[in-house]
Parts: sequence; C-alpha cells; structure tokens
Amino acid sequence: MTLPKTLRTRWFWYSLLCVLSWAAWALFSKMGSREIPAQTMQFLFALGTLPVALALLLARRFRLEQSSKGIAYAVANGILSGIGGLAFFAAFRSGGNASVITAATSLYPIMTVALAVSILRERLTWLQMVGLGFAAAAFVILSF
Amino acid sequence: MHLPPWFAYAIIVLVAWGIVGLLQKLSTNYISAESSLIWLVAGFLILQPLLYPGKVVFRYSTHNLVWALLSGVFNALGAWALFAAMKSGGQASIVSPLTALYPLVVVLIAPVVLRESVTLLQGIGVLCALAAVVLLST
Repeated sequence: MTLPKTLRTRWFWYSLLCVLSWAAWALFSKMGSREIPAQTMQFLFALGTLPVALALLLARRFRLEQSSKGIAYAVANGILSGIGGLAFFAAFRSGGNASVITAATSLYPIMTVALAVSILRERLTWLQMVGLGFAAAAFVILSF
Repeated sequence: MHLPPWFAYAIIVLVAWGIVGLLQKLSTNYISAESSLIWLVAGFLILQPLLYPGKVVFRYSTHNLVWALLSGVFNALGAWALFAAMKSGGQASIVSPLTALYPLVVVLIAPVVLRESVTLLQGIGVLCALAAVVLLST
C-alpha cells in the first residue's frame, strides 16, 4: 500500500492516536511518579481510566456480551495489569530514565510470545525469533 | 554485576503484562475487545481498596495529581484507539508493530519535556528494544 493511500485510511490515524496516547501515558507516569508513590499512582491511574471505560459502556448502551469465561479472563487481566502498573510506577519512581524504562517495559510481548508458544502451542515465526534476539540484546545493554 | 534499581521492577512489569497479553487473546475469543477493556477496568477497581491512599493524597501537588490521572486517561484512550484501528480495517500484522513504537515518541520527547539525557549505550539498547517489539508483534 502506498503512503498517500495509507494516510487516507482511518486505521492509520487510530494507530497514530494510540502511539501518541501511550507516549503521553509513559511521560505523565514519569512526571507524577517523581512525587507520588507507586501505590497512589496506580490508584489515581485507575481512576483516570474510568471515564474512557464509561464512554465505551455508553457507546454500547450498556450492552455487554454474557460470557462468564470472557469476563473472568478480562477481570483477571485488570488485576494483573494493575499489579504490573504498580511495578511500572515503582520503576519510574526509582529514578531511572523515562526513555530507558519505557523501552524496557515495552518488551512485555516477549513473555506473551513465550507463553503463547508453551501454552497455546503457537509457532514462532522467524521474524519473532530475530525479535527475541533483539530483546535479549536490549536487556543486556539497558542493564548497564 | 550491578543492576540499576529500576531493573527488578521492569522484570515484574514484563511478567505481569506478558501474561495480560495472553489473557487478552483468551478473553477476546469470547467477548469483544471493547468489552474486554471495560471488564479490565473493573479488574482495576477490585484493587482500589488495597491501594486507597487516604487523605495523604491531598498533600501532593495538584499538577502531579493531574499527571497521574491523565496517565490513566491516555493509557485507556490508547487501548481504545488500538481496537478502533483494528476494527476500521487495520491488519493486526501492521497495526500491532506500528503501535508498539510508542517508546520512540517518548525517546524523542523526554529530553525536551523531562530534560533527560540518554547515553549512547542506552540509545543502542532502546533501538534494540524497539526492533524487538516491532518484530515480536508481527
């Protein structure tokens, strides 16, 4: 697909909004963590996500699928996400560089890929294998 | 070997969010991505009583409290935009690696906004991390 054509697609602009929003999330996380401890950061962060969740609920007119399995996985996701968030804010609070910590913590797909291979029996593509190599290199380099 | 103080926390993040990535796949087998985000926020709320800071929260400066709240707003907005991109015809094989590039924006903005400097070695590490997430999310 050529670039001008891509620029006319909606998915491209949504993706850009996603990238900019997540960059803002990381920067604001670092800025707040300079004064506020991780536990309180996660508390306030969760309050911040509420308006978006409510807007989504409203847009769907409060109609949600009735799948106990789907709901259970998603709620468990929130709890684990919150625990990860606590560590994320603690990392920022420990004084590290926002660029380095954001890059290091963005490597979580390594774990997802490892679990998908071992539990869901998904197969790694060769590109993903190269990606794992880069991730290992990033970890060693950033740990200095 | 002396590891930086943030390193252990980063490992916890990788393990927790890595499992989240897997559960996300499993939950969207049963419910839509938006519903999954709504229930994820419900999961956050379960943790809230444990995290409740009490009145001490009012001692922090207003702007830092606002940054903390905005961090949540933008995180959820980003997640919604990702789903919207997928729903409006974006292929996961393109959208996932593209959206994984958010640390690049941080690397470009942090020196200006936070007055941080990145050493050459750290810069190489960040580039490797970016290459890794882009390739892993293909």
